[in-house]
Amino acid sequence: MSEILYWQALNQALDAELAADDAVFTLGEDVGLYGGTYRVSEGLMAKYGEWRVRDTPISENSFTGLGVGAAMLGLRPVVEIMTINFALFAMDSLVNMAAKIPFMSGGQFPMPLTIRMPGGVARQLGAQHSQRLESMFMNVPGLRIAVPSTPQDAYWQLRQAIRSDDPVIVLEHELLYFSKGEVDTHASAPPLHQALIRRPGRDLTCISYSRMVPLALEAAQALHAEGVEMEVIDLRSLSPIDWATCVESVLRTHRCLIVEEDCRFAGVGAELAAELQERCFYQLDAPIQRVAGLDLPTPFNAKLEAASIPRQEDILKAARALLNLPQGES
Amino acid sequence: MKQAILMPVLSDTMQTGRLTRWNKSVGDPVHKGEAIAEVETDKAILDVEAFTDGFLAGPLAPVDEDIPVRQPIAYLVDNREAALAADDGTATAEKASEAAPAKTAANQAPADTTPRATPVSASQATVPTGKEDASVPVSSPPVGTQIPTSPPSPPAKREMSTTFPTSGNLPRSAAGASPYARALAQDLGLTIEEIQPGADGHIHASEVLAAALAPRPVDLRYGPPYQISKPSALREAVARNMIAAAATPSFRISTRVDLSPLHEQGKRLRFSFTLALTRACALTVAEDPWFNGVWTPTGWVSRSRVDVGIAVDTGAGLITPVLRDAASRPLAELAEYWRILLGKVKTGRLAPEDYQGASFYVSNLGIFAEVEEFDAIVPVGASAILAVAAPASDGRTQLTLTCDHRGIFGADAARFLQRLSQRLKDPTWLQ
Repeated sequence: MSEILYWQALNQALDAELAADDAVFTLGEDVGLYGGTYRVSEGLMAKYGEWRVRDTPISENSFTGLGVGAAMLGLRPVVEIMTINFALFAMDSLVNMAAKIPFMSGGQFPMPLTIRMPGGVARQLGAQHSQRLESMFMNVPGLRIAVPSTPQDAYWQLRQAIRSDDPVIVLEHELLYFSKGEVDTHASAPPLHQALIRRPGRDLTCISYSRMVPLALEAAQALHAEGVEMEVIDLRSLSPIDWATCVESVLRTHRCLIVEEDCRFAGVGAELAAELQERCFYQLDAPIQRVAGLDLPTPFNAKLEAASIPRQEDILKAARALLNLPQGES
Repeated sequence: MKQAILMPVLSDTMQTGRLTRWNKSVGDPVHKGEAIAEVETDKAILDVEAFTDGFLAGPLAPVDEDIPVRQPIAYLVDNREAALAADDGTATAEKASEAAPAKTAANQAPADTTPRATPVSASQATVPTGKEDASVPVSSPPVGTQIPTSPPSPPAKREMSTTFPTSGNLPRSAAGASPYARALAQDLGLTIEEIQPGADGHIHASEVLAAALAPRPVDLRYGPPYQISKPSALREAVARNMIAAAATPSFRISTRVDLSPLHEQGKRLRFSFTLALTRACALTVAEDPWFNGVWTPTGWVSRSRVDVGIAVDTGAGLITPVLRDAASRPLAELAEYWRILLGKVKTGRLAPEDYQGASFYVSNLGIFAEVEEFDAIVPVGASAILAVAAPASDGRTQLTLTCDHRGIFGADAARFLQRLSQRLKDPTWLQ
């Protein structure tokens, strides 16, 4: 077991799958010669050749469509879209093709397609390059969405996505690529769509995913100093969602806080809150609360940008309010 | 000008008030200081007085409903027309009554309860999202409050408030209970309406649990007329101690003994009967370590000295001066010590170290000839208490020993009484 970066974990996962199965290949802008915008395919072209690690023109809908066609014919393509913002060009391939073909063909065509792309607010990339959009894809039946928050999950979930016969979006985060964590390539992975309790707690349940998980864990540590034990659940998958883990936790703590980087309105948290209140209503001791990104295009100004998505203080305040505790000195 | 009449705060503990009746109707002129309505609080029925001259305007809060304090119950306006106009049309009244509590709730709600409650929403300018209730300026009416005296609002705005009824415009019950709190209350046999809400005005599980653990108030509604006064500190302390003592699992065991030999021996040596009896008990306690200890959650406490507490009737209440080391000290010294303690009892100067912490207690009602038998309650921290009645017609006196069963078992108690009876029948040890 060793400590590696998130992008290195993805690189190792891709390498392992390319080695394990000749049907696996990857394609996208700059994945070959350049080694991937975030270095995820670094060294792979030299190792597997330009047929299996293919550079494409700037044509998201076309090369994603190429992936769809290859998947229909039995290959296992891994399409890299440089950021989720550019996936908007590929919506027809993703929504009308990848998500629909297995259903519309009565299962005659499988769709072992993996779409890798980062999302999220990074550092001053502007409103058009700082989107999250995961709730948009959640609303498309037929697509599966994995959201790894640790290098270990990045490794496991990318390998599992490639081996899945369903179209899976592996939604990475631009600010997670250089986060470090232990990766055990031999450990057995939990199921692709299973949520994990990252930190146990008795007072409230915090449900989060992707980059908001480390933030929630930091907040939980700060709350611990105040005598509050916040359980932190890492969803790991946004479609499907592991309701059993969430419900079990909320039934124990009776209070639920959702932390999402995506915009609040009609977002991931809205779906979580709605479903959890349906399942846990009589056991809730307070309304389910959301800490979410603001409903606005991300500002370019660094301070405004930082204020437009949840910060640790926002989580602390929400947790205290949820528990009816006085707000601290901060 | 339109001013709200608020549900007054008439006592420290008042959370809600209940209007019992309106003395005035909408449109009636009222004068400053005039009783407009009657409100029933947790303690009494009082008048709601007008704070200024004017005309009463609706919507009037309903009678016989609990209304949170500081919430508008009616309005005062400058002229009759405005008063009647304000109440014109049920829709308006309903809207206003919906909006008014919502506004109050928003004003009272801590600003932090909804973090990121006021996003700088690009869409907010055109679509009310319900999140802005915290951002509504205190002075401006919330969306949905359209009183006819004000200039007509832009049609778009009015449309919005009906097309998008959002949580911000809905009445928020100040006495709301969480579903979990309701379920808990039901399981615990509590009525949710009787539970005091928490800091945010709502009832959560913690409030229900607190109510369940609190002593149930005595329902005095249907009994004779009464008045409540604060008991003396002594009586309050006794009440508290007795409640605590009720948690001790105890049993009783009795015997009948002729105490006249002890009386005579005491008289001969000029020791009081109380002292002689205390000495007999102390010696008997000293023989059995289970009688000189107490069970505590952290372990069994065994004591190295026998302290005996003696129940004394002060006329104003019960007090138990403690004779320290009653088994070993010379009797003459003990007698002097007892004299000093009784002096302190008479002057009311007994300190906690004088009346607390005995291993064993004695309660003697023997001077009441009618008392043939009784038993006593083991104070917290003691192993047992001996109740001494008056001699019966055959000359024998009933002794009842109440024991803490956590440390003392039936046979221990039987042997204790055996040894004690022996000492009392043959007091040659008393020198």
